[in-house]
Amino acid sequence: MSAVVLPPFWSLVEAHGDELLVHARRMTGDANGEDVLQDALLRALRAYPRLRHGDHLRAWLYRVTTTTALDHLRTRRREVLTAAPPAVVAEPEHYDDAFDSLIGDLPDGTQAALRLRFVEDLDYEGVAARLGCSVVAARRRVSTAIQTLRTQGIPA
Amino acid sequence: MTLSARLLDSIASAAVREGLADAVYTRLETPIGKLLIVQGERGVVRVGFPGESVDALLAQVAAHLGPRIVASDRELDATRDVFSAYFDGVDERLDVPVDLSLVRSDFRRSALSLLRAEVGPGDVVTYGALAARVGRPRAARAVGTACATNPVPIVVPCHRVLPGGGGVGSYGGGPDVKRLLLAHEGATFGR
Repeated sequence: MSAVVLPPFWSLVEAHGDELLVHARRMTGDANGEDVLQDALLRALRAYPRLRHGDHLRAWLYRVTTTTALDHLRTRRREVLTAAPPAVVAEPEHYDDAFDSLIGDLPDGTQAALRLRFVEDLDYEGVAARLGCSVVAARRRVSTAIQTLRTQGIPA
Repeated sequence: MTLSARLLDSIASAAVREGLADAVYTRLETPIGKLLIVQGERGVVRVGFPGESVDALLAQVAAHLGPRIVASDRELDATRDVFSAYFDGVDERLDVPVDLSLVRSDFRRSALSLLRAEVGPGDVVTYGALAARVGRPRAARAVGTACATNPVPIVVPCHRVLPGGGGVGSYGGGPDVKRLLLAHEGATFGR
């Protein structure tokens, strides 16, 4: 039992499951979204009791889902490129580190947009305010970054 | 919530299979309304009546067993069957493992254990008589508190405990539910 007060896990699934599925589908395609979300929520469950605080849990779930989706894309790419069995991806203890290393090769501005959206959990208006651009531009920057990760920028 | 039931089931079952769930819960439609049943590794740990807040009850379980709580009808199939058999009058023993770790004192725990072991369907006992059987004949009031704070009503049958002075007394699910359960079990009691 942890000293931190965390809500029952399923209440998070009920509150945020829908949007996380949309996010997983957007990153990995409609056919893979459910598998990726299941994998992400099991990873989240594994890490849940170790969380140091119960704040920003929605943003945390977004990060876990993003990381899981990127792992999924990376594994798929490796299978395509080498036809060799994928290396086992180590379970990251702290998803922030995993997230950082996955987006590390992207341009700074793109990283900033992704971090504002998925680490700081800002909506697009918030992202726009922080980047000093329009809401449309903020939305485009985040979605372009996700596209980039999907199609080419994933470190192997 | 529009995630498909199939996906939610699949996630919850995988969590249980991989040992990632501290507790599993289900909602069961019964003649007294929709019950909440929460089960941990060691057994049923919490039963909630229709009027009670599911969020509050789950938060209470989370504080004791851990926050990794998932919902699954499928994983609690066997337990649901036992409850349904009770309400159908097929088998009123409610023979499921029970975890009394939400009970806050040893005295309350022994009172509730003894009640469950010795006062079967169709029987009733007074608060005073139950206190005497726990070895504390003057602790009728403490037995009342044990019943009032019983985390697993129906399974631990505090509805079978009645005031010495007549009537059915109070009940977490309301006195009408208490009367209904007793009548269902065929108990004789002053209405």
